Amino acid sequence: MLDPKIVAELESIVGEQYTLTTPEDLVAYSYDATFTSAKPDLIVLPSNTQQVSEVLKVANREVIPVVARGMGSGLAAGSIPFGGGIVMALTRMDRLLEIDRDNMMATAEAGIIASELAAAVAREGYLYPPDATSDSYSTLGGNIACNAGGARCLKYGITGHYVMALEVVLADGRIMRLGGKATKNVTGYDLVHLIVGSEGTLAVVTEATVRFIAAPETERMAQAFFPKLADAGLAINAVLASGANPSMIEIMDETAIKSVEEFLHMGLPLDIEAILLIQTDGDEADATRGIEIAAEICRQKGANQVQVATTAQERKDMWLARGSISGSLGRIRPNKLGEDVTVPHSAIPEMIARIKEISIKHNLPIVIFGHAGDGNLHPNILFDKRDPEESHRVEAAVGDLFQASVGVGGSLSGEHGVGVLKKPYLELALGPVAVEMQKRIKQAWDPNNILNPGKIFD
Amino acid sequence: MCTDKVETSAHIVSQVAEELYLKCIRCGKCLSVCPIYRETRIETMSPRGKVALYRAVGEDDLPEISPVYASKFYTCLMCEACREVCPSGVELDVIMNQVRADLAHCGLLPDSLQRLSDIIVSAGNISDEDNARRLGWTENMASKPVGLDYDGQVEMVYFVGCVSSLFPASYHIPQSLAGILEKAGVSYALMGGEERCCGYPLLLNGESELALEMAQHNVEAARVTGAPQVVMSCPSCYHMWKHTYPEILGDDVLDGLEILHETEMLAGLARAGRLRFKPWPVTVTYHDSCDLGRKSDIFDAPREVLRAIPELELVEMADHRAHSLCCGGGGNLETYNRELAQALPLRRLRQAEEAGASTIVVSCQQCKRTLAGAARREKIRIRVIDLAEVVAEQIEEEPHA
Repeated sequence: MLDPKIVAELESIVGEQYTLTTPEDLVAYSYDATFTSAKPDLIVLPSNTQQVSEVLKVANREVIPVVARGMGSGLAAGSIPFGGGIVMALTRMDRLLEIDRDNMMATAEAGIIASELAAAVAREGYLYPPDATSDSYSTLGGNIACNAGGARCLKYGITGHYVMALEVVLADGRIMRLGGKATKNVTGYDLVHLIVGSEGTLAVVTEATVRFIAAPETERMAQAFFPKLADAGLAINAVLASGANPSMIEIMDETAIKSVEEFLHMGLPLDIEAILLIQTDGDEADATRGIEIAAEICRQKGANQVQVATTAQERKDMWLARGSISGSLGRIRPNKLGEDVTVPHSAIPEMIARIKEISIKHNLPIVIFGHAGDGNLHPNILFDKRDPEESHRVEAAVGDLFQASVGVGGSLSGEHGVGVLKKPYLELALGPVAVEMQKRIKQAWDPNNILNPGKIFD
Repeated sequence: MCTDKVETSAHIVSQVAEELYLKCIRCGKCLSVCPIYRETRIETMSPRGKVALYRAVGEDDLPEISPVYASKFYTCLMCEACREVCPSGVELDVIMNQVRADLAHCGLLPDSLQRLSDIIVSAGNISDEDNARRLGWTENMASKPVGLDYDGQVEMVYFVGCVSSLFPASYHIPQSLAGILEKAGVSYALMGGEERCCGYPLLLNGESELALEMAQHNVEAARVTGAPQVVMSCPSCYHMWKHTYPEILGDDVLDGLEILHETEMLAGLARAGRLRFKPWPVTVTYHDSCDLGRKSDIFDAPREVLRAIPELELVEMADHRAHSLCCGGGGNLETYNRELAQALPLRRLRQAEEAGASTIVVSCQQCKRTLAGAARREKIRIRVIDLAEVVAEQIEEEPHA
């Protein structure tokens, strides 16, 4: 419980209406999209950067933890207030401030919904490529804090590749602007990209300028049905090496297919082990040529059926299945641990095989789907956290999963971040020196350790 | 009725069903479609937040069932957009109905909603008027609707609904429909003071027993007319009759009665060649109401009628058909929190503008009230009109020989 005097001070900053303290509010701000939860002492919903600054000054003075968050769709427990304190939800700061066509950049407050930013850019005839599956229920600020990826990353890169400038508030309340609209800038350390992916541990992002690109003239999509999962893995590498230049290659294994079919009733085949969803884009000729090459490779590598979408609606329907997997897994087991290990292209088939071995070894269903083309797989372990023995096996399986990824030259996280769920494995992935250097950065930026404490490392 | 806090908590906790909340894996997808979350951006008001509260009660993680708890469950349009997109199949409508029933049972119905229930029970309508005044809409018509003095066998009985019967701003909808029926040569009956509230607002208040009494009366009164069809302009009345009446009164309660919404009837008449239209060179968009669209699966009939009008261009808004965005008029929210309810339609009006429409066609008098009221307040130049009014305006006076 916070001192009533501090509560009153916070109320005077953001307004009583936006300082939430009821038991109901504490429950609603205790979770993200993982299976974990912890209640804050209070929630503030600031409406501008000045209020963010004032709140942080109070928190820093009183040494109260502040966990900044957007819509709580994170998959690494990165925005859960395990140490209590203040949750700062930036969702009310959702204004689109500028679309600068000359520089091809958009500026918005951190709480704007990512897909609404992308839609505003699209209305001008351009493309903001980052396309996290959760983009209609996650914020730009959250995407930046976790350096979110998405399906199109294969060709276009991740959120961080598009961030040009930031307005951030430091732990002591000072407001700082980083970066700018100049496309080349090596004036000092690249602090913009230090903040990108820092999970709210170094500063609170309040505003961002992102660049956008010319929209490709058209897109093509195909889905290939593979009786054997291993064949799908080999087909991915063959397509990547072929010059088809796909903008995405997504994979769904048989459990993912069954789960999503139960939700959507699309008539997906239930007797196959994998679907690959492949997209190409560019001008008419390029996109068509690319998808035909990819389709032919899938057939050669063992797909028993390949469908090429002929309309935008068909493409949308194909993607709907892939985009609904994660949420639909609640139909199978009450809890899931969704990982996002990312391995080099060459190791994709091996990683898929190792995940299946881990599933058998620990007797746990592990669903495989994800952005297979860039090596970013989403093995989701399905379990019931009310069963302690099963939860224990989940922990062991996660350890094996990370060992396997690091073993083939991969990373712990491609796009979700470390949060607390991957914290125990950080040293495994980075080594002790790199972890030590990261801790020193944290110490320099947030000496009182009030910003999202206990995330990434202790 | 629960007599104290302890009994209230015990009752509500005992009702929580684990299988309803365990499916929620908290992905957050429902936040992207919830009209109230999109407006407030506060998690406690979101569908996921409501499931979390429901779960917290079941897992003994909330100290008591308080008016604050209750307020979150009344801050909902019951539009079911969340259930539509939930990949995990969480039945949010079931949770909402159950919690509202529990809260009413424990005497936690807020005063404004209690007043609404009391009015419906005593007056038989939502606006506390003498129920015999239900035919007020017929009084300023050029000629009396023939349905007033029906005689012998008629094709249908027209169940007008409270809003159209008693809110003067909505009179034009039943006037239009009566005119269409007469021009198309359809015989019909009006129930007048024998028509009562369909019971939907009572059901939304969690008082299904009171709703059942209304339902029983209405079915009996409709049967007295001898008509084989009951047609209604109000999607909520329609949803109640078509889906809820059989649930609460028994599967056979509607035997021999066909329940039709005005949009289905109009599409049928157009298909049968009983309606001919003048050209209407206007760009319109169609707003699917929650009760008719998402909850009753009627999307094509109104569009079929609009496409039958020459020169009319039909465009779709960003959120349409099963993913339509509620106008803000649902769930008794207007009674419970008028300020919030009035803030919601603006987003919908903007979607219509972005689609390039100059006119929004609705088939719900509540959607019309809500959207037209917001357009007036916000000074947005867009016309909101019911499908029956469109048809009445565009119908050819003299059918071609």
